[in-house]
Amino acid sequence: MSPRSWLAFVVVALAVAPLVLPSFFLQLLTEIAIVGLFATAFNLLMGFGGMVSFGHAAYFALGAYTAALLVKRVGVPLLAALPAAPLVAAAGALLFGFFIVRLSHTYFAMLSLAFAQIVFTVIFKWKALTGGDDGLLDVWPPSLLKSPAAYYYFTLIIVGLCILALHAIVDSPFGYALKAVRENPRRARYIGIDVRRHQLAAFVISGAFSGVAGGLFAFYNGSVFPDFAYFTKSFEPLVVALLGGVQSFFGPLAGAFGFKILEWMISRQWPVYWPLFLGAIVVVVIVVLPSGFVGLVGGRRWRRRPAAKA
Amino acid sequence: MAPPASRQGLVLQTCALSKHFGGVQAVNGVDLAVPPGDLRAIIGPNGAGKTTLFNLITGDIAHDTGHIYFAGEEVSGLPPQRLCRRGLGRTFQITSIFRRLTALENVQTAFLSYHRRHFNILVPARRLYRDEALGLLERVGLREQATKPSGILAHGDQRRLELAIALASAPRLLLLDEPTAGMAPRERHEIMALVARIAGDTGLTVVFTEHDMDVVFAVAQRITVLHQGTVLAEGAPAEVRANGEVQRVYLGQAR
Amino acid sequence: MSGLSVGMLLFLVSVGMSLIFGVTRIVNLAHGAFYMVGAYLMVTLVEFLPDRPWAFWLALLLAPVGVAVLGGVIEVGLLRLIYRRDPLMQLILTFGLILVIGTLVLLVWGPDNKSVPRPEALAGSVKIFGQPFPSYYVLVLVLAPLVAVALWLLFYRTRWGMLVRAATVDREMLGALGVNVAALYTQVFVFGSWLAGFGGALAAPTVAVALGMDGDVLTTAFVVVVIGGLGSFAGSFIGALLVGLLQSFGILIFPAVSIVLLFALMAVVLIVRPWGLFGRPEA
Repeated sequence: MSPRSWLAFVVVALAVAPLVLPSFFLQLLTEIAIVGLFATAFNLLMGFGGMVSFGHAAYFALGAYTAALLVKRVGVPLLAALPAAPLVAAAGALLFGFFIVRLSHTYFAMLSLAFAQIVFTVIFKWKALTGGDDGLLDVWPPSLLKSPAAYYYFTLIIVGLCILALHAIVDSPFGYALKAVRENPRRARYIGIDVRRHQLAAFVISGAFSGVAGGLFAFYNGSVFPDFAYFTKSFEPLVVALLGGVQSFFGPLAGAFGFKILEWMISRQWPVYWPLFLGAIVVVVIVVLPSGFVGLVGGRRWRRRPAAKA
Repeated sequence: MAPPASRQGLVLQTCALSKHFGGVQAVNGVDLAVPPGDLRAIIGPNGAGKTTLFNLITGDIAHDTGHIYFAGEEVSGLPPQRLCRRGLGRTFQITSIFRRLTALENVQTAFLSYHRRHFNILVPARRLYRDEALGLLERVGLREQATKPSGILAHGDQRRLELAIALASAPRLLLLDEPTAGMAPRERHEIMALVARIAGDTGLTVVFTEHDMDVVFAVAQRITVLHQGTVLAEGAPAEVRANGEVQRVYLGQAR
Repeated sequence: MSGLSVGMLLFLVSVGMSLIFGVTRIVNLAHGAFYMVGAYLMVTLVEFLPDRPWAFWLALLLAPVGVAVLGGVIEVGLLRLIYRRDPLMQLILTFGLILVIGTLVLLVWGPDNKSVPRPEALAGSVKIFGQPFPSYYVLVLVLAPLVAVALWLLFYRTRWGMLVRAATVDREMLGALGVNVAALYTQVFVFGSWLAGFGGALAAPTVAVALGMDGDVLTTAFVVVVIGGLGSFAGSFIGALLVGLLQSFGILIFPAVSIVLLFALMAVVLIVRPWGLFGRPEA
């Protein structure tokens, strides 16, 4: 089947799903869409930008909490609260990203992780604002969107729009320059690109769309908790993107599908064992992968070479 | 500090440029004056300081003392992207291109950046500057390879591509660090003849380092000879060739 | 004052991580998990050993050994297979280990918080500068610097230490000189794990031993190595002290303030010296 017909098939299948599937599977599909958006946003940075963030849960959580707080504490309707999510997430990404992009590779990953844990700690400790460990409960969409099918369609539309936007960005001049930065930062500079600024912009865009995913998830879940920002949540988009393939735009979406199905199957039987399973799979896959994995992220650049001047 | 008035018209000028690493004086009081349109070869034995000199000029390494002027303005400490905007382009000893992008995308991206459209997220980039990029690829003889990932191109073709990328930014000065490294003799002459042609057509100033004396004498308008970090001799090819010291130190040991 | 103790404990964890990175170039994200295992082992050992004065000290001795064994198994069984890989892959693998170890801890010890009682001799408090100060913290303040000094002696006065320092600068050369670099890697990793385990065991009577303590210590250790510089002994020490003091200082005012202060400190260091106060500029 050609890519076009695949796409058509998927769209039609998704559209008629509520007529065929029980609401549990609709909810699963909703989650898949949300995780798929999160992973695609993450992959803008990883696959297309060559930057691996270990702390993307921060922006997901910022989005989720922003939406939840606006609805619960300020009484803003969902349609106004949801757009605020990417704004706050982008602000966080701008603040943290400013420091994170000054580093590269290992330090980049570690610092992003550290910042995400800081977000987690702030959410956890600032009980007055965020409810701390108890989280914020009763964060539901308005009755119009409350049914699984309704929220499913809503999520599909929002996620679909975001995916289209991200796709446009990847194919835009910005995307070309981002890929150039990924391939060869030095050469990018010598054609006039301010590498740090470009990376920061990509970081902010990635954070913003992660925030949308977080906002969508808040209303899907009906509650938000500090562990939305915990590092195990940061692991998700990474594994999903790796599973689906980081060099392709739609890879993470496919990965989200596979990942969630796997999670559902394993958590059903042995809920406690899911993190163990996840970690073990990752460990085994990495050990077993062919030693090249060159095509993965910036290929040669990640090998042990002195870093190009940052 | 403004450059001496008598040299205002120079594209590139260094005054008493020096750099040492530990105990080694890599570049020692180098004065360089490159007028517009010059095709300058910088030669010297290995370790003479040629690449270090380039790195000092482009700011990859900080110089200890001296000044660097590009088009009459002091440029020490400017990052590469700013130098590019001012019209300074460079190629590297080890080919520096965007390997997983196609040759066409490589050059298109350079054009996008040159025209300051690299922050545009609203339009697809595929069509932008496609004709200009193909034209440039044609110029360097890579038209047929346009849609191939640049990483799989032959070594010589990659170097041509790098040249095209550098040219896309419409530089006034092009620094070529060992542009013919790794090429067979005939290809060396071809590519440098290409460079000379393009420079002649566009008024571009070129400074390049080179080991192959045949290529140097065939193409260069002026030659600067470096030895142990200092300028040993400078002048038209015939002068330099006849220079006794140069013969003794360098040409006498050449292959 | 307690900031100093916190800093000291942090130092034990950070220096291990720094050491491992310096030699093997692997950032062991599971280091926090090692710390946690050390604390949990302490819980079990103290429970099972007879209720005698020496029990605590024996436990303190044995718990880190358990972690060291775990580290050894991981190094030999897993890390050896991936030394040649992308640093990214290595990071992800150690990230995966966090999940594995965390779940195993949950399975073995259950989800409830645990605690380790302080030994009788150190259960009370002493007066320092007129303020009551938990006696146990005195132990920390004595033991940890002793370990630091011992480490310094180890790295700068023994042959093994010299090999380790050489390895952080140029591994290939060391191998070319005939040193068994693979064995050195294992030794370093085991030693680093031991340090983390010791930190956890020593810290156990001062904190709630619970799941998730690996995340907390990992973050703070990261901040320490970001500030101090990966691969630097002095960096870990100074960094840990700074962070420990800042955290304790901040908590006195308002819990969230310490976070902001930490963030501000990291930001300043990153702007002035992106590779840490004592680190070397490299990826």
